[in-house]
Amino acid sequence: MPLRRLILLCSVFWLLIQPAAEVRAELVVVVNARCGVAAMTRNEVINVFFGRNRQYFNGVEAQPVDMFDNNPDRGRFYSLLVGKDLSEINAYWSRQVFSGRMQPPAKVGSAEEVLKWVVSHPGGIGFVDLAKADARVRVVYELTP
Amino acid sequence: MTIANLFRRGELAFLPGQWFLTLAGLAAISLASPAMADADSTFSINGFGTFGLARTTSDNVEFVRDISQPRGIGQDWSAKIDSVFGLQAAWHIMPQLEAVVQATSRYRYDKTFTPDVSWGFIKYNPTPNLSLRAGRLGTEFFMMADSRWVGYSFLTVRPPGDYFWYLPFYSIHGADAAITLPFGDSVLRAKVFYGHSDGRIPLADEQWDIAGSPMIGGFLEYQRGPWQVRASYANIEFKNDLPIAPVLKKAVGGTLSAQDAAFLATHDTRTHYYSLGVVYDRGPWQAQLMLNHIEQGSRALQSSDGGYALLGYRISEVTPYLGYSWVLSKSSGNAPSALAAYVMQDSHAEQQTMFAGMRWDVARNVAVKAQWDGIRGEASSLFPYRQDNRARWDGRMDVFSLTVDFVF
Repeated sequence: MPLRRLILLCSVFWLLIQPAAEVRAELVVVVNARCGVAAMTRNEVINVFFGRNRQYFNGVEAQPVDMFDNNPDRGRFYSLLVGKDLSEINAYWSRQVFSGRMQPPAKVGSAEEVLKWVVSHPGGIGFVDLAKADARVRVVYELTP
Repeated sequence: MTIANLFRRGELAFLPGQWFLTLAGLAAISLASPAMADADSTFSINGFGTFGLARTTSDNVEFVRDISQPRGIGQDWSAKIDSVFGLQAAWHIMPQLEAVVQATSRYRYDKTFTPDVSWGFIKYNPTPNLSLRAGRLGTEFFMMADSRWVGYSFLTVRPPGDYFWYLPFYSIHGADAAITLPFGDSVLRAKVFYGHSDGRIPLADEQWDIAGSPMIGGFLEYQRGPWQVRASYANIEFKNDLPIAPVLKKAVGGTLSAQDAAFLATHDTRTHYYSLGVVYDRGPWQAQLMLNHIEQGSRALQSSDGGYALLGYRISEVTPYLGYSWVLSKSSGNAPSALAAYVMQDSHAEQQTMFAGMRWDVARNVAVKAQWDGIRGEASSLFPYRQDNRARWDGRMDVFSLTVDFVF
């Protein structure tokens, strides 16, 4: 009897967590479909989003767009990309800004605005849920946990 | 106000006009910014600050953050050495052109917190990976030297002293160029700078004017994923002598002979700075190893080797860290007199520091830090300190620090 009950409980629990796992879709890095970049490595994505390198291999200027801190995708993105907390990412940018080296990428509030930025800038690059990536952008990197 | 200082010296005559235009431009655009809030022309104001308290376990020397500070702290808690407030205005005039002005208020050479214009420059990027700047610029003598006061940007309470005490230089009037060369997924970056240094370094109650001393340098940096390696070199040719005569007169009532003055001269001597840094930064781990060698041209200052190692591991919002730093200087030549020997002893450094602390990212853009430094050195290690009581100082003390760092 107790075993049956346990199995039942586990099944119910499994069903309950199912939708949650589906909602937590995969984050991908997308670029403007016309910028000529087909795929990027993790280090190349890091170089662009941390301002280390501002050009793609073909010479086109990389124009990254970031999200505001209150958007959970921002935390997920940097956690998956470099394993860092947002406080560490903000600390990194405060060093770049106040040493006079560079300003951080522009920030927007939603996936729609990320896509808008990527489409309207020739070298636009941003991160969105895979499900949101449409034909106007090209997926160049998938963030895997 | 320090803009007045800019007008002080004749050789800087080219700057006031440029400064006036920059400031006037920034002021104008800040008033007009709502109307110009489009994507290509952006104006931003950012700030940083630290409120820090620190004390030591010895009243025989005064502990300073670096030798730009005329007085330090002893056994009483003090907010003097680590507290700072900075404000930056940046205007993206065009995609390739940017103007930046940054002012900082901190305890400085004249014992006040009078704000200084730390940087004020025009930055031009002819291509995305080439950056040219001109104006008043921060110098990257050593890795992270140009963000030494932005506590929020690093792990420790303050940059390790055994490594940074020797660097009272913050800015030059000149130009720099930085180029980024990507190779596959790694990046090579090179930077060169040239300019005339600006500022004063306190020595007892006197000040050493280093304005107009030409400075040249550069670095080569390699970055791949979590790794960053940088080798840098810079030199400065001092244009003025240390104010030794007035200091000696006050300290020991002695007069500096012509022979001693010539022996201890710093004008027209050149000091060379070499450094090597390796940083690993990925996931919860942060590790740094930095080495430097300073070759002094004047016999009044001793050449030295220093370095530090730092390791931190983040656990949720808290990052405990552990570090070790050291500095050792070597005497250069025999002093012609007891007085000259006294001056030379003053520039000796020979100590190691163990430090441990914790950074707590308590809220968005606010960090609270607590740190212990255990300084274990020789009694002869005097250079890093102020107001030494040579008869009683034994080279050993502990420093306790608490800071709140923020950016906005």
